[in-house]
Amino acid sequence: MENRLRVLRAERGWSQQDLAERLEVSRQSVNAIETGKYDPSLPLAFRVAELFAIPIEEIFVSPSRRSSKAI
Amino acid sequence: MFAAKQGDFTPAQRAHTRRVLWLFLAYAIILPPLVWLRAHRHVSDLLLMIMATAAALPVLGIFASWGRYLSDERDEYHQAMTLRRMAVATNATMGAAVVWGFLQAFGVMPLMEAYWIPFVWVLVQGAFGCIGALARRGEEG
Repeated sequence: MENRLRVLRAERGWSQQDLAERLEVSRQSVNAIETGKYDPSLPLAFRVAELFAIPIEEIFVSPSRRSSKAI
Repeated sequence: MFAAKQGDFTPAQRAHTRRVLWLFLAYAIILPPLVWLRAHRHVSDLLLMIMATAAALPVLGIFASWGRYLSDERDEYHQAMTLRRMAVATNATMGAAVVWGFLQAFGVMPLMEAYWIPFVWVLVQGAFGCIGALARRGEEG
């Protein structure tokens, strides 16, 4: 799933490891989410949103919204 | 909590690896005397049954350890990757076992002991895991 995690992380000057520690997941998880190879569960997505204090939809791009834009 | 210093392995992965290494050690210690006894001494059927079960126990322990790992793993990405690896290994091994079984039945291939099937399953899992790790390393640079 497309997302803005890398941008948000970079804005705060955090490394993938820093973010992983804040989310209590592995660095590989952060990398897989950032690159769109793994879609986080809803609880993890909420943790990400709470950490950055912004709504989920401002971090993760809805696949249906993305495809409708493409049309 | 996850700690950066703990490297690339989660606590559940490290615990699973430790358990598996101990079980392999137990297997390496238990198996040779059982094989020797079977080959050089006359043992009753009951004792043979106990010996065969004893040889299988460490391998059963490894499977139990996988179950424990999946339940202990708090990192959902690693948990998902492990389940994926298991699914690939199960499909590949079951497929190979069926094909081998028919080849054997038609007399094309020799008899293979059934206990090789879990070893093939573990090997396929390992191979798939290595390919995945190499691919990730390549992508991360």
